[in-house]
Amino acid sequence: MTSLALRNIKKSFGSTKVIKGVDLEIAEGEFVVFVGPSGCGKSTLLRMIAGLEDITEGELHIGERRVNDVQAAQRGVAMVFQSYALYPHLTVKDNMAFGLKVRKVPGEERERRVREAAASLKLEALLGRYPRELSGGQRQRVAIGRAIVGNPQVFLFDEPLSNLDAELRVHMRSEIAALHQRLGNTMVYVTHDQVEAMTLADRIVVLREGMIEQVGTPRELYESPANLFVAQFIGSPRMNVLLADSVAKLRSARGLNLGAAEWIGMRPEHISLVEPRSGLLHGRVTLSEYTGAATLLHVELKEGGTALVIGNGPIVPEVGEEVGLEIALEHLHVFDKDGRAIRPWAQAA
Amino acid sequence: MTLTTRQTQLVARICWTLALLVVAVPFVFPFLWMISSGFKSATEIFGQPSLIPRVWRWQNYLEVFEYQPFARQYFNSIYISVAVTVLTLTISSLAGYALARMRFAGAGLLMLFLLSALMVPEEVTIIPNFFLIRWMGLMDTHAPLILLPVFGSHGVMATFLMRQYFLALPKELEEAGKMDGLSRFGIWWRIALPMSRPALAAISIITFLFSWNLFLEPLVFISSLEKFTLPLALSNFTDSYGLPLWHLQLAATSLAVVPILIVYLIAQRQIIESFALSGVKG
Repeated sequence: MTSLALRNIKKSFGSTKVIKGVDLEIAEGEFVVFVGPSGCGKSTLLRMIAGLEDITEGELHIGERRVNDVQAAQRGVAMVFQSYALYPHLTVKDNMAFGLKVRKVPGEERERRVREAAASLKLEALLGRYPRELSGGQRQRVAIGRAIVGNPQVFLFDEPLSNLDAELRVHMRSEIAALHQRLGNTMVYVTHDQVEAMTLADRIVVLREGMIEQVGTPRELYESPANLFVAQFIGSPRMNVLLADSVAKLRSARGLNLGAAEWIGMRPEHISLVEPRSGLLHGRVTLSEYTGAATLLHVELKEGGTALVIGNGPIVPEVGEEVGLEIALEHLHVFDKDGRAIRPWAQAA
Repeated sequence: MTLTTRQTQLVARICWTLALLVVAVPFVFPFLWMISSGFKSATEIFGQPSLIPRVWRWQNYLEVFEYQPFARQYFNSIYISVAVTVLTLTISSLAGYALARMRFAGAGLLMLFLLSALMVPEEVTIIPNFFLIRWMGLMDTHAPLILLPVFGSHGVMATFLMRQYFLALPKELEEAGKMDGLSRFGIWWRIALPMSRPALAAISIITFLFSWNLFLEPLVFISSLEKFTLPLALSNFTDSYGLPLWHLQLAATSLAVVPILIVYLIAQRQIIESFALSGVKG
């Protein structure tokens, strides 16, 4: 177990700046997830920690050690790749023992560690098989097993579940969470799936265009997003964002001083349906998507724009019906013209 | 009468086999004729043609070895072809890996330069090569027969094939190797190379055949009978007027085919096995 520190880390490929200065401290035993849209630099950042990409500028510390110029294998990290990257010409056992063999760990010790890792991941029956003879989930477990046998201080996961089907993904997600609980190692996990991020992480790092947008616990990110980008990226379905001016009634009726507010955000799950003309906002249902547990309604607002609303009451309005929308004050997210979050009601209270 | 599915499959199979046999005849017949004529006397070859010799002349095979140092020449061909194959595999896989995976200034230009060597026919370079080899003092030695295929256009082609194959290997496997503590050389030796067995097998066959059949270079560079390779030796089974002694030539040619068949059988199995191994995901 060890901590990680990224200090003003930058990465350029030629003249293209991919990581534009990242500062981050990861505590011992913490499970940190990097999320962000494609091309935000989350995988590059992980690969820089792994030692697979050079660090253009800044400092990377693993524990007390500065590792900028330390080779990947000497950093005490193990990585689980998106495509599993199992050696196709080796059996499961040889795949798991490969790194130990390269590091010249004695045969007996090697055998013991592979057996232990295989037992903890229920892989004993598969040790003699080749990767091509395994299912996707089994391959993923072997890839994790290969990482475990090296006793790394830090585990790195690069979108490890993205090649699995939905059901298996949920299952493997819980296995990774259990693994973290059992081993207690520091883990850094990259994903573009925010549900994966929310369920696994102690802390989430939201990245955009090579910069950190916000770092916080899943709850912090969901309840107090620092800006419009994080607000819309975290949460599913995504947050409704309306121009503050279009919510004129809100200003007058509640006597709320929105100050420099430019945008108002409302999560679909916080909006309740009320009688037409009695809520804060009014509109007409244009699309109704039934998902079983709830119905996702697209409401075209009289004030302009469209809002997504989750209808999970006994009566769900039909397409074309007029509805009123209501939301509790504490669930409103307010942003200034640069997209930064402001908290006017906190001041009012 | 209606046929069951099984009977239909059987009939289809017989029809296919017969059709393939017919197609195979033009390819197999000259081969069988060569073997059969190797057992005939010189007069019988040009007498009434028949596939089965009237008299089986086993002594043809003895005369082949008595007429010239054929055993020595046979050995020359084997060791030269093996040396050329091993060296080509080593150099082309190393160079191909460097060109596919290592970033260095002028890599693209170097590849273009190498590829241009493929466009020059051997016959064009044989005269400058002759002067070069003479200047190096390697005339009437086996060195040019090994060096020219390895470093000439054939070696370039093998390098190009290996480069293309390495380019197609998943990069993540190499990165996994790096995480496991392998050096660049270790990645080549323990990951890239074992995964390139189909390409290596294909290059082995092509290279062995190329070296085994080489005629122009031995003709130009070799003058001593005991240094001859098989193609040159085969052309040397002539009477005092320079006319071919067909019965000896065909017996010798039958013997010359054996190593090629062995190489082909070994490499073919490698290719088939390796295809089953390839791929990262299912």
